[in-house]
Amino acid sequence: MRAYLLRRLWQSAVTLVGVSILVFVILRVIPGDPAKMLLPEGAPPSAVEALNRHLGLREPLWVQYAIFLRSVVRGDFGQSFQYRSPALRVVIERVPATIQLTLAAMAVTVLAGVPLGIVAAVRQRSAWDYASTVVAVLGQSLPNFWLGIMLVLLFGVTLRWLPTSGFGGWLSLVLPSVTLAAFPTALVARLTRSSLLEILGQEYIRTGRAKGLGEPRVVLRHALRNAMIPLLTVLGLQIGTLLGGAVITESIFAWPGMGKLVVDAIFFRDFPVVQTILILSATIFVLINLVVDLLYTVLDPRIRYG
Amino acid sequence: MTTPRLTRRRFVVGSGALLGATAVRPRAARAQARRGHIIAGLSERMLTLDPANHYSISSTSVLRHVYDPLLDVTNDDKFVPALAESWKALNNTTWRFVLRKGVRFHDGTPFTADSVVFTLKRVRDNTKLIKSFVYQDIDDVRKEDDVTVTVTTKRPFGSLPAHLTMLGMLPPSAGGNEDGFFAKPVGTGPFRFTSWTHGDHVELEANAGYWRSSAPKVDRLTFRFIPELSTRAAALRAGEIHVIDRVWPDMVSTLKGTSGIKVHDVPAVEAQRWHFQLAREAGKDPRVRKAVSLAIDRNTIIKELLLGYARPVVSPVPPGLIGHTNLGQKPYDPDRARAILKQAGHQSLTLDFVLMKDLYPKQLEIAQAVAAMLGDVGVKVNIRNLEIATAREQRTAGNYDLFFSGWAHMPHDPDWYFGQWFTKAGAEKMTRFNDPRVEQLIAEGRVPDPKVRQQKYEEIQKILWEDEPEIWPYYSVAIYAVSDKLRNFEARRDYYVLLHEVAIA
Repeated sequence: MRAYLLRRLWQSAVTLVGVSILVFVILRVIPGDPAKMLLPEGAPPSAVEALNRHLGLREPLWVQYAIFLRSVVRGDFGQSFQYRSPALRVVIERVPATIQLTLAAMAVTVLAGVPLGIVAAVRQRSAWDYASTVVAVLGQSLPNFWLGIMLVLLFGVTLRWLPTSGFGGWLSLVLPSVTLAAFPTALVARLTRSSLLEILGQEYIRTGRAKGLGEPRVVLRHALRNAMIPLLTVLGLQIGTLLGGAVITESIFAWPGMGKLVVDAIFFRDFPVVQTILILSATIFVLINLVVDLLYTVLDPRIRYG
Repeated sequence: MTTPRLTRRRFVVGSGALLGATAVRPRAARAQARRGHIIAGLSERMLTLDPANHYSISSTSVLRHVYDPLLDVTNDDKFVPALAESWKALNNTTWRFVLRKGVRFHDGTPFTADSVVFTLKRVRDNTKLIKSFVYQDIDDVRKEDDVTVTVTTKRPFGSLPAHLTMLGMLPPSAGGNEDGFFAKPVGTGPFRFTSWTHGDHVELEANAGYWRSSAPKVDRLTFRFIPELSTRAAALRAGEIHVIDRVWPDMVSTLKGTSGIKVHDVPAVEAQRWHFQLAREAGKDPRVRKAVSLAIDRNTIIKELLLGYARPVVSPVPPGLIGHTNLGQKPYDPDRARAILKQAGHQSLTLDFVLMKDLYPKQLEIAQAVAAMLGDVGVKVNIRNLEIATAREQRTAGNYDLFFSGWAHMPHDPDWYFGQWFTKAGAEKMTRFNDPRVEQLIAEGRVPDPKVRQQKYEEIQKILWEDEPEIWPYYSVAIYAVSDKLRNFEARRDYYVLLHEVAIA
């Protein structure tokens, strides 16, 4: 197990260095000039050139990469071109909003998706099952931006029950998290249903019933636990995706999260911020994958890493 | 509705309050007149608290409440005193500013000539600052006494007062530790900085000791950053905020139809300008430029696509600014356009029309209409709707024939526009414009004398109007939507949201 862990950590480190080089090179290959994006349209070419020099963009590529690595070791990830403050600080400031939205959306996903899936599986081909299918299809097919705007118009503008946008207080979390959770909830509901159905047909479930276990115990304790494995993979990936930001939902709700930050940083060619976010989200992805792999052993004692 | 009954107790309490109110000192009276909390929704996120380090309209909207400039500019383009009580050009390259006495920064330190010397030298010398390039012509900034400053420039800099309306004054103490200072900055403005939640909002509170006794009118001011127009409008309609900027024409009817909301519009200090690439085959030929201009039906664009929220152009410089003149509207005459193209031998012309994605209201629809209009006279148009950074790279590389752009004269002065787009050095990597006559006139128009400037700018525009290196399709209109609880709101021509004198019911 220990050897496995060390091997996985080493692989993760190599992956992250690879990601950093890739991000670094791609940013500098795509067209677009950071100084021009910072200065107004009417700035003379000499000012553009001077600012690019100040930003260190006239150094050879490997020197720029070395400077960047040094800033990573130093712990600030370089100066954001746009915000003129350490890139890591700019990104960290968006972390609370991003985590709040991710957790809220995941809570909605699990609390709505799993029960929907269970009901659909246990009451297969009943009205419950069809209703759950309709909800799932809607959740997967309604575009985020449309759903978000409709929710804002209904609950924000017309009924005035919830704030239309912004970051502050749990009320402001409701609409964005529901919008964001629509798709993964549908996904989780369908997945729970199909894996539960498969497991409910297994012999050990029949054995459980035969020895007189109650239905809730059979479903929740024996079947659901085994059905959780594919679910956990999907949830893990969803958390990774959500932590990387949810651009459309963040735009609709003026939510100060990571997604809008990275998109704006790409538009404005704020290289240090893009690099920081991408490397951090790659790190989170790699770590979550690792944790999920380790969690398998907890859920299913037959899985062993050696 | 219930009518309050006048009881004996109420009468006694009320009379006491009335007596008290008549006896309070003037500052307390001001504090009483000042109440409420205005929340504004702005279209861009603020990036910095440093007034010299941005040209962002949203940042200016926020920071103009915290820092005062030396001069202010009114909505009818008059330059009026702010921290400078008066100013004068002593000769073509020397300016003298006499400062307002008794003004204090929010931390209590006095505003003096040292502040002006520090602020101007900082922006000139620290070339990392975004506004630095504008001030490179400053030669020296000298303190004559505590309230007098002399600025000498390397060449005539007639637009210096205009640019100074965009530069907030800082205390010299900001110099020691800029990071620390801008974490909690102080200015002399009507509001003090309280907090900034990045990407979300900025909080300001009233500066009770503001030097202008009529401001501020409210206790608190919050600027929320809501880049999506539909979200901004929803927040206003839900009553969460009181004013939004950058409303697009097609949103106006929805907002006008909501009770409690008023829509304000005003001709902006911006002219749309689609520039030709003058070194490419099509743009090089003045006959092609003329034909393209004749083929575009500007009035239809204004009426049908912008729903009347734009004005026909009569000279490149918009009305109100120095240099504006009436050269008459450009005609729409497709027959003549066809004849000119035929005569010039351009029977199958194709133009690349480059757009900076989502930058201007209705730009894609307008470009499509233009493509149809030009198609009507036999010119094929390739619309290339590119991400902003890519579009600007393409322009530098010269890979375009016509480029969709606008120019907002933010200092309320056209010198910057002319100097950037119609001098060889400025236009070299842009439009490739090069006309020594125009260049000479621009240099002559840099003197402080407004009469000379007006005359030179009129001459420049006559040449440009004839030569048509750009198409000027319309002057933009700035549209704001405001809660009817706000009193005294002024829709600014420069797109700023300025709430110094605005009260809330």
